[in-house]
Amino acid sequence: MTGGAGAPAPPDVPTPHRGGRLGALAFNVRLLRTVGQVAAIGLLVALAAYLGDNYRANVSERNARTGWGFLNEPTGFNIAFDPQFSPGQPVKDALWVGIVNTAACAAVGIVIATIIGVVVGVVRLSNSWVARKASTLYVEVIRNVPVLLVILFLAAGLQTLPPIDDARSIGDVLVISNRAIAVMSPEAGDNFGLYLGVLALGVVAAVAVAAWRTRVSAATGAPDRRYLWAGGVVVAVAVAGYFLLGAPIVWSHPEVEGRGVVGGAILNIPYVAITLALAIYHGSHIAEIVRGSVQAVPHGQTEAATAIGLSEIQRLRFVILPQAFRIAVPPTINQYLSLVKNTSLGIAVAYSDVAALSFRLIGSSRAPALQMVALLMAIYLTFSLVISFVLNILNRRLQLVER
Amino acid sequence: MFRRTRAFTLASGLLVAGLLGAACSDDSSDDEEAGSEEESDSGAQTSGGTLAAVVDRGTLNCGVNNSVPGFGFETADGTFEGFDIDYCKAIAAAVLGDPEAVEYIPLTPEQRFPSLASGEIDVLARNTTWTSTRDGAEGAAFVTTTFYDGQAMMVPAASGVTSIDALAGSTICLTAGTTTEQNLADRMAGIQHTPQTFEENAQVQEAFLAGQCDAWTSDRSQLAGIRSNWPADQGGPAALTVLDETFSKEPLGPAVVDGDSEWFDVVNWVVLATIEAEELGITADNLDQMLESEDPAVRRFLGQPVEVEGEEAVVDHGFGVDPDFTVDVIRAVGNYGDIYAAHVGPDSALQIEREGTANALWTDGGLHYSPPFR
Repeated sequence: MTGGAGAPAPPDVPTPHRGGRLGALAFNVRLLRTVGQVAAIGLLVALAAYLGDNYRANVSERNARTGWGFLNEPTGFNIAFDPQFSPGQPVKDALWVGIVNTAACAAVGIVIATIIGVVVGVVRLSNSWVARKASTLYVEVIRNVPVLLVILFLAAGLQTLPPIDDARSIGDVLVISNRAIAVMSPEAGDNFGLYLGVLALGVVAAVAVAAWRTRVSAATGAPDRRYLWAGGVVVAVAVAGYFLLGAPIVWSHPEVEGRGVVGGAILNIPYVAITLALAIYHGSHIAEIVRGSVQAVPHGQTEAATAIGLSEIQRLRFVILPQAFRIAVPPTINQYLSLVKNTSLGIAVAYSDVAALSFRLIGSSRAPALQMVALLMAIYLTFSLVISFVLNILNRRLQLVER
Repeated sequence: MFRRTRAFTLASGLLVAGLLGAACSDDSSDDEEAGSEEESDSGAQTSGGTLAAVVDRGTLNCGVNNSVPGFGFETADGTFEGFDIDYCKAIAAAVLGDPEAVEYIPLTPEQRFPSLASGEIDVLARNTTWTSTRDGAEGAAFVTTTFYDGQAMMVPAASGVTSIDALAGSTICLTAGTTTEQNLADRMAGIQHTPQTFEENAQVQEAFLAGQCDAWTSDRSQLAGIRSNWPADQGGPAALTVLDETFSKEPLGPAVVDGDSEWFDVVNWVVLATIEAEELGITADNLDQMLESEDPAVRRFLGQPVEVEGEEAVVDHGFGVDPDFTVDVIRAVGNYGDIYAAHVGPDSALQIEREGTANALWTDGGLHYSPPFR
């Protein structure tokens, strides 16, 4: 079709010197550019009008639901691992559960991925042959397989954990089964509110002590050691308060009850599978970013640091890493964004993230597909924009420090 | 440099012009398509004539499932077998006199109603639940129900669980995106449980084998099929128990396109013929004796001459097939009881009990009841 309209013109191209006003007009760059842009805008408007018309026609033909009223209608099904949620609650509540689940997976995934990335990235440059090769193997294997494969592989591995009937308990601290992994967790006891107040006072005292140490240091030239002092104050207040108020924090111990685990902090297997898999996958990418950033710091910096007598650790801590960090931030933000979007693969391991819940709502006719998918896109867009916004502020502040 | 810029500008101008041209021609061709669609739509709806079309074509286009053992299953050598497949054969036998004159068209759940509406298939026999919206909004017309299904619960036999209420606190696995989730939520209202929702049956099976699920819920017929194929190294079918309670209504039966009452009648009465034949005790084996029967009800049903006011006459049902179409149906697939026993009954791989359920004849307390043939 494109050829049909464009075909007769090309013979004009090689013979631009035919003269005449029309010929000159056809080669007026400014005119052509304007015409081109007007045409492009016209094309976009026509496309939008066509799509809008198409949408209206199909909606009326199929009697499809329009509008957003479905958000207030009952969900009709339960959501795994959220016993508080009841099927009578509206669709928007179900979506909120999904958003919280997605955020929980993304936040923890980002933290673990960053830790893995920094450690492995630095180890790849270490002098130890074994550590170097092991981290290279990890990065090259994980980075070069599809993320879905990593998720399914990990999920299959977690399935081989002991079934709930003979779940492993390690002391009262840890319960491991292929339904959930639970660890002992702190819980509010008597006087918990009061204890929080005491802790707040402790923090205020610590800040005051730190300020005092700074003054002392400025006056006498003695090392301030303010972190040590402030930390000591906080610990002292916390311990003293704990005993004086009669155990304001108690430990919740996990145990197997019936067909599930109760008590402690419970990590359900679908959550563990998707979060850990994404952390491992994106950790390998971040490791590459870290390695590349360290190597991107000019070699002269290392030589200069060595020349002024810094040890290897000091060289990394004070010269190389601060500069590498700045280089690493922008590509790492990209990894974070793609990790957030990849949480939608939780559907493969039955994790109730916002995408999986949306698809279930569409499948059970509780939500019209077009509105639901549009809303889902808006939700992911919001996630991504918030992360880029926060991290870009961080990035700008880091760049400003550069001298 | 200048020449290159000029050529580039010209080329991009041409490209844009071409795109515009393409957009315009797209519009016009779309209009044409819409027009022709309307034509074909109205054509299909006003003329009705599915029966004549099938007779002309010489084959019946039957929309089926190819992956549910017992109901619609494609074997390794490409033949189809199952409960729903037998109804395709019965209709072909009634209309064309040849139960093998069927073109089986495997369909996904999403394809089935559009295929029916577009005329790609003449009849849909693909374990489809009869619901009000499908009857109303999807343009399908359901004939008499052939299998009264319902959602059930399957547990490992070793668990000793005998009732759904005993599953409090358990993890119940299922597949997403169907009414199964809502039925489960309705049934388990007030009973704490974890509904683990997977995308496919294969994933549920994996999780079930790993001990991540305490129970599996789906339509009883599906659970029976899954159970019959349970891996032998995991204990085979004996390792699983399907609990007795059924907690939803899933009436399955053939459907035809809305608005062709002649074709609807034919398909409906083929289904009813299998039920009536069982009530009258006519099977494929005793058909020839039954043709000699003196019982007027049997003679009328088989399209044999009956004496009415001193004259021998054949009952003409008036729906465009020979009055003895019932003979072809019974010879091809047997009566309802035969079809049930062969594909899903207690002696088949699926082992679905019939006695005492809705799938028994009305004379045995079930729901299968045929209006009289006269």
